[in-house]
Parts: sequence; C-alpha cells; structure tokens
Amino acid sequence: MIRNTVKDEKAVKGVIDFTDPAYYTNRELSWLDFNYRILDEARDKENPLFERLKFLSITASNLDEFFMVRVASIKNMVEAGYTGKDIAGMTAEQQLSAVQNKCHEFMEKQYSTLTRSLAPALRAAKLDLIVDHEALTDDQAEFVDRYFDEMVFPVLTPMAMDSSRPFPLVRNKTLNIGALISRKPGTAPEGSIEDMVQENLTRTGARVAGKIAKDKDVKDAKDTDLKDGTMFATVQVPSVLPRVVELPGKEDGTRTGILLEDIIERNMGKLFTGYNVVCANPYRVTRNADMILDEDDADDLLVEIQKKLKKRQWGEVIRFEYEDGMDKKLFKILKKEFGVSNDEIYKISGPLDLTFLMKMYGMKGFDDLKEKKYTPQPVPALMNLPEGMDLFDAIQRKDIFLSHPYETFAPVVNLISEAADDPDVLAIKMTLYRVSGHSPIVAALARAAENGKQVTALVELKARFDEENNIQWAEMLEKAGCHVIYGLVGLKTHSKIALVVRREEDGIRRYVHLATGNYNDSTAKLYTDCGIMTANPAYGEDATAVFNMLSGYSEPKHWNKLAMAPIWLRSKFCTLIEREIRHAQAGEDAHIIAKMNSLCDPGIIAKLYEASAAGVRIDLIVRGICCLKVGIPGVSENITVRSIVGTFLEHARIFWFENGEHPEIYMSSADWMPRNLNRRVELMFPLEDPDSAEAAKHILDIQLADTLKAHVLQPDDTYEKVDRRGKALIGAQATLMKEAIAAAADPRDPVASRTFTPAAAHE
Amino acid sequence: MAVILFASILIGSTETEMKLYELSPRKGMKQLSCLSRKIDLGSDAYGRGSLSTEKVELLVETLKSFKKTMDGYHVDAYRMVGTSAIREVRTNLITKDYLEKQTGLKMTILSNSEQRFLDYKSIALDTDSFEEIIQTGTAIVDIGGNSLQISVFDKDKLITTQNIKVGKISTREQFYGLATNNEHYEQLVMELMEHELDGFLKLYQKDRQITTLIATNRELQEIFRPIAEKQGSSVISKETFMELYSRVVYLNADEIVKKLGVSMETAICVPTSLIICRTLLDRFGSSSVWLPDVSIGDGLAYDFAEENKALKDPHSFDEDIIAASRSIAKRYKSNTAHIRVVEDLSLKLFDATKRVHKLGKRARLLLQISAILHNCGKYISLTDVSECAYNIIMATEIIGLSHADRQIVANVVKFNTAEFEYYDQLAQDSSVSREEYLVIAKLTAILRTANSLDRSHKQRIQDIKVSVKNGNLIITALTNEDLTLEKGTLDMEDSLFEEVFNLKPVLKQKRKV
Repeated sequence: MIRNTVKDEKAVKGVIDFTDPAYYTNRELSWLDFNYRILDEARDKENPLFERLKFLSITASNLDEFFMVRVASIKNMVEAGYTGKDIAGMTAEQQLSAVQNKCHEFMEKQYSTLTRSLAPALRAAKLDLIVDHEALTDDQAEFVDRYFDEMVFPVLTPMAMDSSRPFPLVRNKTLNIGALISRKPGTAPEGSIEDMVQENLTRTGARVAGKIAKDKDVKDAKDTDLKDGTMFATVQVPSVLPRVVELPGKEDGTRTGILLEDIIERNMGKLFTGYNVVCANPYRVTRNADMILDEDDADDLLVEIQKKLKKRQWGEVIRFEYEDGMDKKLFKILKKEFGVSNDEIYKISGPLDLTFLMKMYGMKGFDDLKEKKYTPQPVPALMNLPEGMDLFDAIQRKDIFLSHPYETFAPVVNLISEAADDPDVLAIKMTLYRVSGHSPIVAALARAAENGKQVTALVELKARFDEENNIQWAEMLEKAGCHVIYGLVGLKTHSKIALVVRREEDGIRRYVHLATGNYNDSTAKLYTDCGIMTANPAYGEDATAVFNMLSGYSEPKHWNKLAMAPIWLRSKFCTLIEREIRHAQAGEDAHIIAKMNSLCDPGIIAKLYEASAAGVRIDLIVRGICCLKVGIPGVSENITVRSIVGTFLEHARIFWFENGEHPEIYMSSADWMPRNLNRRVELMFPLEDPDSAEAAKHILDIQLADTLKAHVLQPDDTYEKVDRRGKALIGAQATLMKEAIAAAADPRDPVASRTFTPAAAHE
Repeated sequence: MAVILFASILIGSTETEMKLYELSPRKGMKQLSCLSRKIDLGSDAYGRGSLSTEKVELLVETLKSFKKTMDGYHVDAYRMVGTSAIREVRTNLITKDYLEKQTGLKMTILSNSEQRFLDYKSIALDTDSFEEIIQTGTAIVDIGGNSLQISVFDKDKLITTQNIKVGKISTREQFYGLATNNEHYEQLVMELMEHELDGFLKLYQKDRQITTLIATNRELQEIFRPIAEKQGSSVISKETFMELYSRVVYLNADEIVKKLGVSMETAICVPTSLIICRTLLDRFGSSSVWLPDVSIGDGLAYDFAEENKALKDPHSFDEDIIAASRSIAKRYKSNTAHIRVVEDLSLKLFDATKRVHKLGKRARLLLQISAILHNCGKYISLTDVSECAYNIIMATEIIGLSHADRQIVANVVKFNTAEFEYYDQLAQDSSVSREEYLVIAKLTAILRTANSLDRSHKQRIQDIKVSVKNGNLIITALTNEDLTLEKGTLDMEDSLFEEVFNLKPVLKQKRKV
C-alpha cells in the first residue's frame, strides 16, 4: 500500500519539510482556476443556455472584485517594495506578473465563450443581441433614437477636458464612452462646451442642468486643446438605466436587444452640437479598493469607514478595459490619464462589463432555457407541529438541522421574529455580517427592542463592500433601542450566532442558532449553508460566553462545545488532525473529510500533509482557492481535492473526523484561511444530535459522490471533471434538492410529528 | 416563581465580575453567565491608598453594563460586594457611596473574615470531593492582591485562619523596583515569605502535615488551566508546578504574555503569585496544590439561596464557624466541660424564649460562639477577665463573622461578667448600632443566666426543661445534686434577664428517681 511505503521511507525518517513552498500553489492563481471552473460551466453545453449566461456574468463580477481587492493588494505590495514571499515562494512582483498573464488569458476565454458559443446559441434561440448599431433596421433605429432622446439623454453628463478643466473623475467599474470631438466649421468659437451642452438640454426640455459641473469662470478657455484641433470628451453610461434595451421584435418572433452604450454611441453627436464626433469608444476602469483599516488609530470606526467608502471610488486604476478598435489617439489619452502599464490594459473584443448578462437572464420568457426555479422546502421537523407547540417547543424537543437553500430560511427568521413578540423572551443577541436589503431579521430585532427586550446586535462594519448597507441598519437598530456593537477593533466578526434567552416555568432557557452562513434571507436562497437550532444548555452557556466576549468581557473559564477564532479555533483544528494522525499511527483507519470555501492556511496545509504522510485519508471539498497540492509523493498522496460549482454557491463549512470508530462532525463559519483563523471571530460547533450529524455527513457523502458538477484537482495542479465512465450520474445539488422536496412532501416521522396515524382496518 | 434569578457582583483587586445564577430547590444552584472585566484596583489601592479617577470611571461603566444585563434577565435579587482593594482604600466609604449613587446598585464592603468565609464556601461548593480532601491536613491559601490568607483544616474542621500581609500586588509594588533583576526579586520575596511564615508555622502547624494546599489565585488558575484541562483535574503536583515555575518565574511580563497567551494584567502578577505559592509548598511540605476554579460569587449566591430557602438541602457552614471558635477557645485553655454545659444551656434558654426575643438563626449562632468563648479572658488575667476576653475576641479573626458580628460576640462575652452598659454608655466608645445593642442585651441576658446555672463549674445541671408561666421563666433542672450555689447566683444575676425579657428566671429542681 502506498501509505505504508510513504510512511516507512520518508515521513518516518523526517526528511520531508511539509512547509516547502514547492508543495503549495499561489492563492491568486488558484482563485483564477476557480473562476475558470465557473467559466467551464458557462461553456458546458449541458447547462441551459441562460444558466450559462449567468455563469459567464458571475465570472465577470468575480473578476472585478478580484482586481479591486487581490490584484490591488499585490500591486500595493510591489509599490511598497515588499520583498516577502507568499506560501508558494513567489515575490509580489512574480505574483503580479503571473496573475496579469493569467487574467489576460482568462478574459480572452470569457469573450470567446460569449462570441463563439453563447451568442450563436442565443441567436438560435431567437434572441439577437445587436452589438453594432449599424445593423439596426429602420424601425429599430427609430425606436433606439427615440429611446435615447426620451430616456437616456436627460440623465447623461458629458464631460470634456481642456486646459482649464482637468481630466474628469472616471468612477470605479463604471462603463464610459470616450470620444474625440472637433468644432464644426462656422460655429462660434466663444462658447464653452458646457454652454453647448446646456443649450442642448434646454432644447430637449430636460431639467438636469444641475448635473453638469458648470464652471462660469472658465468661459474663455479654449476648447480645442489637442494639437490637431480635437478635444477629449467622455460620458458615463448611466447605471440607472437598463444595460440591455429590448427592441421591437421581428416578424419571425426573434427578440432583439441592444446595449445601452451602443445607443449612446449612435447618438453621441447629439451631446456635442456644434462639434463633430471624430470617434467614440467604450472603456472601463477598475480601481484599487483594498482598504486596510488602521483600527488602532481609528477612534470612531464608523466615521473611519464612511471616509474610506468615499475614497474607494478614487483609488488607483489597476485595470483599463477598452473596446477593440478604439481610436489610437483616444487610447493614448486614456492610457496616459489612467497611468496604467501595458499589463494592466485589456483590449476587449465584445461588450465591456459582462455583468449585464445577469440582467439578460432576468428577461421575461425563455423559461425552457433556464433551470426550473427551485423553491426552498419546508423543514420536515417543523411541519405539522401539534396544536399549541411553537418553534421554541420544537427546538427544545430536538435539535433542528437546517440545510439552505434546499430548506427554507424561514425558521431562522421565525425564531427571531417569534422571540421579538414572545412575552417570555428576555433577550436576543446576534451577529449581523451581511444583511439583506429589507431584512426581516433586522425588523424583528428592532421590534424586540421596542417590546422591551434586551437586544444586542454585533454589526460587522468591515464586511467588504457592504459597509454602507450595514451602517444604515446599525443606526436604525440603535434608534429602536438595541445595543449595537460596531465590530471589534482589529478583528472582523464573521461568526454567525443568535441567542434567544427565555424565562420559562422552570428557569432560564437559551435557544441558540449557529450557522455557516450569514443572516441574510436573500443569499440564503442562493448559498448552500447549514445551521442548527438547539436548546442544549451546553451550547446556550457557550453562546452567552461568546456574546460576553463580543461585548468586551473576559474570556470564559472554559468552553463546553464551541471553539472560537482567533484564540482557540486553530489549535482545535490541529488537535483534531493530530488525533487522526495518532489513529493512523496506531494502525487504525483514519479519515478526514472537510468541506470549505477556501484552503490556504499554510499551518493547516502542512498539518494535512503530515497527516497524509502518516496514512490519514483526507478528502477535501474546496469550492474556491486551494493552495494544497495533491499527489506529491510522500506528502499528499492520500489527499483528494474536489470543487463543486453549481447553481447554488457552495458555502457551508463541514469537518468530519473519523476518530477511531467514534466520528465527530463539526460545522463552522471559518475556512482554512489565515484571515479566518487569525484575524476573525469565528465559531466552530460540533453536531452532537445524531440526526444532525447524519444530515451533515450526508451532504459530504453526496458531494464526494458527485460526478456531474465536481472538478477534481490533479497532481499537475489542473482541475478536471470526474471521469464518469462506469459511474452513476450524480449531481450533488440536484440530489439534495430532490431529497428536500421528497422529505417535505412526506414529513411522516411519527415521533417528529407527534401525530399517530391509525392504520386502516383489514377488511 | 420557583426559580430565583440571582446576580452576584464582586469588585476584586484585579477583576470585577458578575455571575448570574438560577436558584431553585429542584435544580440547586446553576450558574448562567459570568461577565468579567480586568480592572486593576489593587495597585492603586495598595500603592497609594486611593483609586484613580479613570479606574473608578471604568468601574462605574462596567457596573452600569452589569446592571443592564441584570435588567435584561429580570434578575430577582443581587448582592454586590467589594473585597480587599475597596476595603483598603482610605476613601472606601466615599467610593462606596459614589459607586452606589452612580450605578443605583447597593454594595457591601466585606471584612476580611467575611471575604475568607465566602471564599471557603465557594471552594466547598465547587466540588463533592472537598469533604474528602480536608480529611487529611489541608490549608486553603488565598494569594490576594494585598495579603495572603491561610486557613488550616484538621480532620475536616477549620481550625484557624490567619492573614499575612504579603500580597501579589502589594509585594510587587514594594519590592520589584528594589530588585536588581528577576532572580533577585525571587530571592527577596522568598525571604519575606520565610520570615512571615515562621511565626505562623510555630503557632499553628505544629505536627500537622499539610498534604494538600488549596490555592485560590486567578493568575495561577489561569496559567495552569491548560495543564488542568489536559490532565482532567485541577490538582497540580509539585513537580508539574515546579516545571512551569522554572520556565516562567524569571520572565518579564511581556514575555509571559507571549509565552502563556495571558493578558498583561495577569502576566504582571504571575511571578509573585508563583513565588508565594512555591514558598508555601516548600514550607508546608505539600506534595500538590489544588487550584479550584471558584470565586466569591458562588458563596454569595449560596448565602442568598440559604437565606431565602431557595435550596432544598443546604449544607450548613455554621459548623465551620463553631469549629473555628472552639479551636480559639482551646488555644486560650478554656474549661471545655464548663463551656459545653453553658453552651448547651444557653441554646436551650434561647430556644425556649424565642417567642419573646424573636431573634433568628444568626443570633443563635452568635450566642453559641459567645458561650464557647466566654471564658477565654482568663488566659490572660483572672481579675480582668471581661476586658481581656473582649480584646482577644476583637483581635481574633473568626471565619465567617463580620466586624459587626464579632463586636456582638465580644460585648456579650464582656458583659457576661462585667456590668452591663446601656445604649448611651455603650455607644459612646464603640460603633454598636441600636439593633446590635438590642441583640447584645438579649444574648447577654441569656448567657449570664446559663452561666450562673453552672456557677460551680461542676456541671451539676446538665438537663433542663424551660417553660414560661405567670411572668416567670421556670427552669426545671433534672438532677440530684445540691443546687444551692446555682440558685443563689441566679437570684443575684437575674435583674438583666428580667429587664430584657420581663421574665423572672426561677430554678426548680426535679430529682431523678
């Protein structure tokens, strides 16, 4: 057997350094591989066409964020002269160059997917996306122009650059059209461009004059600034209007859409009367958005974050995308103004910013080209509760395991909502990380506070890109009388925990909800997450201790069940892995199954290598980044890694340890990433109720059996789909959906439902 | 409601904490939550004798948040106590008043002996094996901020408790700056300890073997916790203790923070606590130290539960107080047989006149202690017994008794032989309140009567029956002996009893057949 050979020859001799950078993959490159896997889904003809559009759109929005945060961060390191190396031994410079190369390849593949595969398929499905306005029929052209005049023109804010007006601010991720214009012969030279635009607006009756940065003092400025008499102008494609505009259909039933930027481009001349539009082309910039808060200096976290929010739009440009065919002179101006190097410039053959595809997905009709909409199912344990039994009674009777979005998120919302109105409830405490737009949970918390309950909410302001949203809720809750904790200095609170304290007949009882995902009823329909609701006093005691710590009190003397990062979680994981190592060394079966979003913590990976070398079987289900390599002789031959990319975003973190023949299973809010284990407040909790443990293990088993959506990491660091030959076709997400529907249709557990059904008498 | 929610708030030298309990006859005492914040009052209190404004404000803020939590839980009752740090500050009454006014919470400043008794109760409640442990020679040492309290047990009875002025914070304040380096500091503390312990050991240890040391000290508890959790017991062998000791004792606080993952506040006290504990282990010759995970809060909750009958089967700690009193009596060579009889007779009189005096259990206990100690003055002087007894009692720590309790006992013993002083007189040079004065008067009357029943010190009267009839307290003695002396003494002594109870004690004799 391999494992014995390995053990005997190398590990035992101790010659292997498990921390050798050669055994690790760079996290950014691994992340790009993940985006490639999503792109694969967009290319997979077995997926319904509109789902493929959605996947392509996701790759684009993912990549935007990747640039804003990760690429920006590496670039910061390069600029700061940071010489440290990453987990795989790469310097920041090496990473930047490798990442940029891979991004270029990636974006080419995105567009070839769109133009060669998706666009023809769309046309075949009788949906025509016109990318060149010259291809419009007369009727369509008339429609487009009228649409421009009535809808678009009033909201446009053209801006020009001349000696008195600096290059305008081009906001992060916005789509813009750059143009060169030249004065028409015979027009009055005195008028500045603003006057001209103003005049236009007055003519069209639009009242948006205030939108224009009018500067009366610069009237005399010369408009013609460039040597050849042309002038640079730019206009933002308004984000308030739909990006895809549907045109009147054709007689054969084909539906036609055109992109907003094409409509504007076609009517560009109307913006600059008295000028000729020499050329006009779309472009887009992505800016550095990685903000590292100086928490030690920030007296008031809130103010600090609000400041950063404003700054975010002003960051340095790290990607400049422009449409293939852009006028050379126009390109040069933009390149110079954005200060980008060649590596940061992306020439795009197709529409910029593919996130519009998500909007196309939302177009009415085409239902046969979309996955049938799945409705989260009711939780069987909470169905048909006997008269008089409420949610609290049900939880007290038995722990409740929740698997979203297969099962509905409603019980979690109900828990908080019922607690808010229940006269016996004394207090509600919870962490809020990313809250949805009109969160019923936030509303319930506010109501609870108004009902005189003690409500404590830890609102994490540092949740990336969500700060503005979170600040609003936080202030609303505070007004309602909740005790709001605005995060912890130096740590992000990522744990998902809710505690309801209730005074019952026989004393205080605590109800706890612990989960892998956020208290967000919207994402709970898209992200696969798990949670438990329990009245087990040991969990209740720990939950109280968690909130005590979050409120600034000292750590508890001991924990019953929970393990908390950043203080205890890492060592807990290490202890669990080491225990498997000891089992392996004792000749017993040793096995770890772990599911998470990302795996890039060097300490944990080294420990997994050590375990593999000792003969522990390790099966990892890692959706995104995985810095661990498989199949390295003597290091990781006993490790498999698979990634599942599906309709739902895999988000649960589940950890199973064989532990001799006494398996233990845990769930957590934490990935095996340094940030989760070192700089965040995270929780891990064991599933001790046998049914919950079984349900969670079932998720792992089904994902390990997936032959449709799973990509398996190969020793050459590529991901390949499972070789299906001779295997049943199993899609993990599809199976779990089916199972949830079946369970909800037949929640017949006589014990669970507490209703006995008398069997019919024999005739 | 059958379940009482109780909060105990403890303002300690290094930490301020609130514990929430559920008290019920069915489930006993159950801790729901513990909130604690490290607030170092000790270094202010022991260093400069007053608390800095920042510390006081931090304390107020913390107490306010405790109050909020209490309100959230709809707590039924609470006790808030301050221990040595608050007690030691010059301004303790002002500080107490300020805290009370700012937070709306009432607080009590515990006397040392009350604090120790609560400590002891907390330890006793912490484990079922406590009874077992104290069968062998045991000492509880509380290494506090300002002092070291040593309580010695012998065959499950607490025999003495002594306070030695060597504390983890005060010692550091005084000597750390003087030491040339950390090794020198260790040497200084050890020398200081040796000197202080010598006297104690000569007096109390004698030939008792103290096998187990029970140490209550936050820092030791915290740094040994990982070891305790690993071995599944908080009894640390001397070898294990010394292993960690040698790794840590010479480190600076920041190194300790790094190495042991504790907070800075804890780290500062770690070396001193270690050295003190090590010296105790050495001098007592103990083989292990038990570091129980307790705080006074448990004792407070227990007290409350007991008072409010919220517990089904409370363990009585009165026995411990009585045992401690007996060992004091023994130290002053009191006549054991006489004491036994007087004790017994006073309690019988107390119980028989309950409807008249309406005193409670606590007063009964104080009476019993007074009876036990009523003779101790003779150890010093046969002529000035009452004054000597008073001084001995006031200068001796009796575990479980507050200063006020002790004052009652001392006065009762004093007036047992000295002329009774009425309130105006008594209040002139002592802090006795009107209520306490009334208790003193009643208990003195009972003790005097009981004492005169054994005037001969020959235990002629051992069995009595007491009844109230026509304004008389009829004491029927079952004995065949000659009671002339007792009858005569009673007649002489009875005026106070009559004044207090409006009953005239009458001794009758019933001969045994």
